[in-house]
Amino acid sequence: MTDPILSLDDVTLTLAGNAGPVEILHGISLAVNRGETLGLIGPSGSGKSSLLMLMGGLERATGGSVTALGHDLTAMNEDQLARFRRQHMGVVFQSFHLIPTMTALENVATPLELAGHRDAFDRAEEELRAVGLGARIDHYPSQMSGGEQQRVALARAAAPRPHILLADEPTGNLDGANGAAIMDLLFGLRDRHGATLVLVTHAADLAARCDRVVRLADGRVAAQEGRRAAE
Amino acid sequence: MTLPVAARIARRELRGGLRGFYVFLACLALGVAAIAAVGSVRESITAGLQREGAVLLGGNAEMSFTYRYAEDAERAWMARTAETVSEIVDFRSMVVVDRDGVTERGLTQVKGVDGAYPLFGQVELDPAVPLADALAGNGAVMERVLADRLGLRPGDTFRLGTGTYEFRAVLTREPDGAGDGFGLGPRLIVRTQALQGSGLLEPGTLFETKYRLALPPVADLPALEAEAEDRFADNGMRWRDARNGAPGMTRFVERLGSFLVLVGLAGLAVGGVGVSAAVRAYLEGKTAVIATLKTLGAESRTILAAYLIQIGALAALGIVIGLVLGALLPLAFAPLIQAQLPVPAEIGIAPGPLAEAALYGVLTALVFTLWPLARTEEVRAGALFRDAVGRTRVWPRPRYLVAILALAGALIGVAAWFSGVPALALWSAFGILAALGVLVLAAVALRWGARRAARARIVRGRTALRLALGAVGGPAGETTSVVLSLGLGLSILAAVGQIDANLRSAISQELPEIAPSYYIVDIQPNQLDGVLDRLQGDAGVSKVQTAPMLRGIITRINGQPAREVAGDHWVVTGDRGVTYAATPPEGTIVNGGEWWPADYDGPPVMSFSDEEAEEIGLKLGDDVTVNILGRDITAKVTSFRDVDFSTAGIGFVIAMNPGALQGAPHTHIATIYAEPQAEAAILRDLASAYPNITAIRVRDAIDRVAEVLDGLAAAIAYGAAATLVTGLIVLIGAAAAGERARVFEAAVLKTVGAVRGQVLAYFALRSALLGAAAGSVAIVAGGVAGWAVMEFVMMGGYAFEPVSALAIVLGGALATLAAGLGFAWRPLAARPARVLRARE
Repeated sequence: MTDPILSLDDVTLTLAGNAGPVEILHGISLAVNRGETLGLIGPSGSGKSSLLMLMGGLERATGGSVTALGHDLTAMNEDQLARFRRQHMGVVFQSFHLIPTMTALENVATPLELAGHRDAFDRAEEELRAVGLGARIDHYPSQMSGGEQQRVALARAAAPRPHILLADEPTGNLDGANGAAIMDLLFGLRDRHGATLVLVTHAADLAARCDRVVRLADGRVAAQEGRRAAE
Repeated sequence: MTLPVAARIARRELRGGLRGFYVFLACLALGVAAIAAVGSVRESITAGLQREGAVLLGGNAEMSFTYRYAEDAERAWMARTAETVSEIVDFRSMVVVDRDGVTERGLTQVKGVDGAYPLFGQVELDPAVPLADALAGNGAVMERVLADRLGLRPGDTFRLGTGTYEFRAVLTREPDGAGDGFGLGPRLIVRTQALQGSGLLEPGTLFETKYRLALPPVADLPALEAEAEDRFADNGMRWRDARNGAPGMTRFVERLGSFLVLVGLAGLAVGGVGVSAAVRAYLEGKTAVIATLKTLGAESRTILAAYLIQIGALAALGIVIGLVLGALLPLAFAPLIQAQLPVPAEIGIAPGPLAEAALYGVLTALVFTLWPLARTEEVRAGALFRDAVGRTRVWPRPRYLVAILALAGALIGVAAWFSGVPALALWSAFGILAALGVLVLAAVALRWGARRAARARIVRGRTALRLALGAVGGPAGETTSVVLSLGLGLSILAAVGQIDANLRSAISQELPEIAPSYYIVDIQPNQLDGVLDRLQGDAGVSKVQTAPMLRGIITRINGQPAREVAGDHWVVTGDRGVTYAATPPEGTIVNGGEWWPADYDGPPVMSFSDEEAEEIGLKLGDDVTVNILGRDITAKVTSFRDVDFSTAGIGFVIAMNPGALQGAPHTHIATIYAEPQAEAAILRDLASAYPNITAIRVRDAIDRVAEVLDGLAAAIAYGAAATLVTGLIVLIGAAAAGERARVFEAAVLKTVGAVRGQVLAYFALRSALLGAAAGSVAIVAGGVAGWAVMEFVMMGGYAFEPVSALAIVLGGALATLAAGLGFAWRPLAARPARVLRARE
């Protein structure tokens, strides 16, 4: 029995470019099931990251609808989307995007505080220990290596126990060893919290760890393959 | 080869335009413009005073005497030397008007003139009648303020002493008015001849005579001065000439101008913080370029030279903009400035002040940019290949620190040299450096405190507050530059506020409580008993003090000309009050030597004010020669005593034994301490019984001083405001520079679930915290500066003034809040995906 947690219906995305409007996504329809791990692959410029941003409500679709946990994200305003993300989503970026003026602990505690958790700092510390950074909780991003920063970003995304984890090439800025460690952590977190994971990646071996892989080309779904295909 | 290559690199880099340098240019231009404008106006006034010296003085030269007219020998010398001589008599008196059974009185400064007055310039009257007609017979003219106060209209009569005069016209312009200096009463002019029989110029009465000389064009002023001093200085003659027709005014303009330039320098220091921040931000953005250049083989000195040339070119542009503004602003506002000035000023472009301002600009730019420029040496080529961007050593190498210190020393030295008041300049520099030091420490403490507070349990759950504290305490924030720039501007404003409030309090509130109600001067010896009878029988009078009073000039100390011994000390530069007493007057504290025995009848002896004695280097046993009424009296200093001038009671620098002075014509001064409701009756009775006396109401005098203070405070407040404007520009610059970082933070916060209200609250709290911190430090720094000035310069007490202090903290918080929120719109409106992907 399938249980879509995320579904996109005929989604289009057009952005304004210097030479006029640029169509990024063309009528994409896709469903992601609860607890599934989905890999999004494709060449550069195929629209993988844009699709991920639409799933997270970080970008607004030009057409079609994006539904997450039964809520139509395209009908929500900025603040409603923010509240939705704080309750249900965690996002990991290639460039980590930690706030430089906050320590590791503060970066991780922030979404928990925003979600109103009284034990935000205790949980944040626990999450940092889980990613192996228990000794570096008071360090600022500038005092950490790239691998360490990405671990903080993972902890930040996972700390609120989101239903959906969105990861945009999380190993893109890391060397092989660090990248592998981060992927182990990412999948470990998913397994531990039972979240749905959508992973954008260039690496075939990483995509192979996913339940299902969707290949994008020119803003369209070119192929789907995997152990469990979407309905 | 280094320089040509560096120049080429600099030229290519400058093709990027001025983006990122607007705050740099504005800070430098504003500081230079303020100094150039103040300097230009000061130069114009000084030039005007010199050009119009003869008009302001009322003659090419002036010889003046206290208590007496010129003697035959003096008159003969004047007649021989000058083409025309005009005699002026100057004294204080009371204008009395009887109308409908009510008597009104007003203090006035009377000028008795002859037919030759004025030798230079024109007296202007309303209605526009010739002065000769207005003064014919018993005619008089007076300033409008006095005529209005007494309700006089042309044709009305009034009394001066026992004489009756007719008011004929309002005096709208007195050409030699500015040269006469500060007067407690408005001016009134009559013919000297008409004063005969008024009882106002009796022996011993305090008056001054001035002989204005119209000299032939070939006259050699320095030679004539030397000759006159040689012949008559020992007789109490004082010389002034057109080289400096209004010395008091010139000194005042120069001092005020210097002070404002120093305030301008403080503004430049504030701007320097912005300049430094702008260069630092620019160079941080160039880390990759520098690393690339090093990879390609550029040496550190080539890179330093390249960026020094770039920053130098931009600094030159900022300075030129400042000079143009500083030169044009006074020209644009010339009619307004001239209307506000009591002295002639032909506003023009003055190269001297412009050069001075440019020099300050160059030195400030160097002092504040060398530090970030020196750090380019610390960028390694490896910065391109690992995450080492921004991790450079904080301290530049020692040679740069030495250079920065040397340039700062040069800046302070130049300011001390140009200001003409080196002590004030050095203290101001010390104050600015101390304030900057305190602000740096405060910024460090604020960051440390904010960091600790951000981790405190109490702020957990208050996300916006914790984020704000974290940002204030975190690395790479704008905390230091905002606290420094805004804090220094607010500190100066706070110091001005504290000093102004304390001075006003001392003059307007404390002084009237301890000062007498009236001074009565020119009481003839035979009138003293009558005056005392009237006062001692009055229940409203709490205390009366009287003292014999003469005026004299200290001409020699131990046989040497007094000016050679004491320089320009105020005690020897004009005539001073002299009294005599057999026993120490009540409250006298003799703190050196001994007062003479009550029945002393030997050679003249003297008691001197201890503080002034120390200042001019007087010792017990020294001989001091005082010229009184043209007669030299040499007395031996046998005691020093404490004279407190701050209570506005009777205070004489010089007291002598009675035998030394009793024979000279003299009058008495009385101070009356009375209930306010008793004052009017006392004035009426005394003035009616003794028309020759002059009563000076202390509260009126205080009001007059307060008026002068108002003007001064306004000028200084404008200067401080210019400094604050620079601080605000730096603040806006910091907010603008931080906008990109705010956009990113807002995007991340939205991604992790923050709504716009929370992001806005975070930005607002962050700004307000910085502003409040800068304001709080400013209160401490301003308070310390205010205390130091009141305690050590004004020799008065200091009390913290809370209203302006509170306004400054609030102002600081609001200013940063406004700047922060002004740049919050874009971060709030930006879509997270676009922002974050742009940084991938």
